[in-house]
Amino acid sequence: MNPLSPLSKEWIVLAGNPNTGKTAIFNLLTGLHQKVSNYPGVTVERKLGTMNLTDEKSIHILDLPGSYSLTPESFDEHVVSDEIFSWIHGEETPNLILSVVDVENLSRNLYLTSQLLDLGIPVIVVLNMMDRVQEESLVLSPRQLKERLGAADVVPISAIDNQGIDTLKNSISTNLNFPAKPNDADIPFEITGILRSAIRPLFQYFTEKMKYTPRFAWAQALRITGRKNALKLLETATKHSGSSNGELIKELTQIHFNVLKSLNGDTPDLSTLEPQLRYRWLDGILMKKDEVQTKSLSRKSRSENVDRILTHKFMGPFIFIGLLYLIFQSVFSWAVYPMDWVNNVIVQFGNLVQGIMPEHIIRDLIVEGIIGGVGAVLVFMPQIIMLVFFMALMEDSGYMARIAFLLDRIMSKLGLHGRSVLPLMTGFACAIPGIMATRTIDSWKERLVTMLILPLMSCSARLPVYALMIGAFIPPINLLGIVDAQGFTLVIMYFLGTVTALFLSVIFSRWIKVKGHSTFIMEMPPYRIPLMRSVFRQVYLRVKQFVSDAGRIILIISVILWALASFPKTETDQNIQHSYAGKIGKVIEPVIRPLGFDWKIGISLLTSFAAREVMVSTLATIYNVESDDGNVVKLTDALRQDKDPETGKPVYTVLTGISIMVFFVFAAQCMATFAVVRRETNTWKWPLFMIFYMTSLAYIMSLIVYQGGQLLGIG
Amino acid sequence: MTAKQLRPGDSAIISGFKSEIKSKARLLEMGLLPGTEIRIVKQAPFNGAVEVKVRDYYLSLRSVDTGNIIVKKIV
Repeated sequence: MNPLSPLSKEWIVLAGNPNTGKTAIFNLLTGLHQKVSNYPGVTVERKLGTMNLTDEKSIHILDLPGSYSLTPESFDEHVVSDEIFSWIHGEETPNLILSVVDVENLSRNLYLTSQLLDLGIPVIVVLNMMDRVQEESLVLSPRQLKERLGAADVVPISAIDNQGIDTLKNSISTNLNFPAKPNDADIPFEITGILRSAIRPLFQYFTEKMKYTPRFAWAQALRITGRKNALKLLETATKHSGSSNGELIKELTQIHFNVLKSLNGDTPDLSTLEPQLRYRWLDGILMKKDEVQTKSLSRKSRSENVDRILTHKFMGPFIFIGLLYLIFQSVFSWAVYPMDWVNNVIVQFGNLVQGIMPEHIIRDLIVEGIIGGVGAVLVFMPQIIMLVFFMALMEDSGYMARIAFLLDRIMSKLGLHGRSVLPLMTGFACAIPGIMATRTIDSWKERLVTMLILPLMSCSARLPVYALMIGAFIPPINLLGIVDAQGFTLVIMYFLGTVTALFLSVIFSRWIKVKGHSTFIMEMPPYRIPLMRSVFRQVYLRVKQFVSDAGRIILIISVILWALASFPKTETDQNIQHSYAGKIGKVIEPVIRPLGFDWKIGISLLTSFAAREVMVSTLATIYNVESDDGNVVKLTDALRQDKDPETGKPVYTVLTGISIMVFFVFAAQCMATFAVVRRETNTWKWPLFMIFYMTSLAYIMSLIVYQGGQLLGIG
Repeated sequence: MTAKQLRPGDSAIISGFKSEIKSKARLLEMGLLPGTEIRIVKQAPFNGAVEVKVRDYYLSLRSVDTGNIIVKKIV
C-alpha cells in the first residue's frame, strides 16, 4: 500500500486546511516546485518529495491534500483520513507531522491540528502567512502557543517571501534527532459527567483491543459517537491492515450501538460533541473573547472590499464574461504571431534536413514523417501556453472561488455544482486535470455529472484541429464589418461544446439516480497576487506534457502512418490511394461519406482516437507523402488545393471544414480521458457510456451540419 | 429566526440548527457552533449562494444551509 515501504528513511508529513500555502512550503522544502493554489483542494495527488537536511542527511516529505477534519466529507479528505488511519493500523508511521496553519485564521485552522495532536506523533505547527501580520500583534507568542497546544514546536514563516524556512528546517532536524514524547496520557479537554461514563466502553475497547494511547482512544470514542461515517472509516482502516479484525469490528459495532442507546435522550445532539469540545479548548487557548470576536467580524478584509466589485450582483457576472472574452480573444488573436514563427522554424528545419541528407528512404521518413507530423502539432504550443497561463492566474489569485460563488445557483439548476466551474474551465485546457479537479465536489452525483459532460469542453488538443480547418476554409473577412469571421467560428465551436454540455447535464442529472445530498460549503480564500514562479511552473508542466506527448504518441503514430502511406512502393505507382493507409481509409469511407469526409479524413479520425491533435499530424504526414516534391508543405494550402482526380473539383469545402470541426467538438477521441474516468469512477460503465454518447452525438451533429448545409446549397 | 432571513450587513449569533440537516457536521467543524457570531456579507445573483464571515474567514453557503441555521440577530 505505502509507496514508502521499502525505504528505511525517516519521513515527515505536511498536513493542513486548504489555502494555507501548504504546497508552497512543500516546494520550498523539497525544491520541487509544484502546484500552489488558492482553490480548495487542488492538491489531489499524493505528492512525495525529498528534502536535504544536511549534506549527508535527506528525508522524505509527503504532502497531503488540504483537509478541514479527520472525519472526511470530500473525496480529498477521504484520501487524508485513509492515509492517517493507515499509520495507526499499519506499520509505517511518519516521524513528524508539520501542521500548516494560516496565522490570520487560527481557530479554524487549529481544529485539524488538535486532531493531529491526538495521534501520538510529534507535531510542528507551521504558522504561515506571517507577511500579513505583525508578530507583536499576535495574541500569543509562538512559544506560548507551543506550550498551550503541547506541540513539538511552533514556527512562524512566510512561504511567499521565503522567510523562516531555515528555522523550520532546523526545527525539523532537532525534532527528528530528539523527538519529544507527545502527551498521550489524556485528552487535553475535559469530557465530563454523563458523556464520559457513557463513552467509556468505547474508550476501553480502543485502549485494550486496538492498543490506542489513552488520548487517541478518547478522541476516537468521541468521534464515532458523533459521526456514523467515522466508524466506517475505522472499519476500512483495520481491513487495510490485513489482520483478521472481523470479530473485533463486530464487537465495536455492538459497543457503539449500546453507547448511542445509553446517550439517547440525555444528549440529543451528538454530532456537536467533538467540534464543541475542541473549539471550546482552542478558543480558551487563543483567549477569544466576545468583544474581540465582534470587532474582528465587523472588520472588512481587503478581499471583501475587492469583492464589492468582483462579486457584485450586476458587475460580477459582467466582469466574469468580460474576462472570459479577453482570454479567448488573446488566445486566438495574439497567439497568431508566435505560431507563425514556430511554423517558419519547422518548415525551414525540414528544408534544411532535406538539403543536407542524401536522397534515401530514411530522409523521407525524417522529413515527411517526423518533422512534418510532429511539427504540425508543435505549432499550437503558443495557444496552449496562453490558455494554461490564464487558467493558472485565475486559480492562484483566488478568483476561481468567486466564480464558483457567483455561478453556484445557475450550476445547481443545471444539475451541477458551484465547484463544477473550475473543473469545467480546466477542461478548456485539458479534460484530464479537469476530471481530477472534480474531486473537490463533495456530492457524488454532481461530481459524476460533471465528469460525464466535461470532455465536451473544447480542450487545447482540439485547438489544432479547429485552427487548421479555420485557417484552410474560413476566409479572413469581417462579418457585418465588425466581427472577424475566423475568430467568430472558433468562438462558435467552443460555445457549441459548452452549451451542449450544460444541456446534457440537466438530462443526466434527472436520469442518474444516486443517493446522497448536495452541499456547497466553500471557503472564500483571500485574494493573493499569484506567485509567478508557481504560475510559470504550471505552464511549464503542461507544455512539457504536451511536447512529450507530441514526442511520443504523435511521433510513433506519425512514423507508422508514414509507413502505411508510403508502402507498398512501386516505381510506377506513386498514388497514395493505393497504399495501405489509402486502403484502410477506403474501407471506412462509406460510413463517413454522409458527413462529407473522404478516406483521408477517415484515417485521421482513426488515428485521432488516441489523441485529438494527432489528426493534424496525420493529415500532414499524408500530404507530405503525397506531395513528394521533397519540401514540407503547408497543410492549410494542401487541404484547400486538394482536387478530386476525376472531377477536378476541390475535395474539401467550407462545409466539410465545419462538419469536421463539429465532429471534433463532440467526438470521444482521447483514450487517456476515459482511462482517468475509469479510475475515478472505479467502473468501466461510465467511460463506456461516455464513448457511446459522444460518438453518437458527433456523428449525428456532423450529419445534420453537412446534409443540412448541402440542402441549403452551401459548399 | 434563521440565517436565511438575515440581510447582507446583518450580524447574528448562532443558537442552533434545525434538526438533522445533512451539512450540520461540516458546519460545526468549520467553526459554526451555537454561540458563534456570524456576519452576512452578501448574496450571489438570482438568490444564489450566501457569503458569511465567521471567526476570521469568509465562507460561502447555499440558502438551503442558511435556512437551517437558527440565529439571534444582533441589533
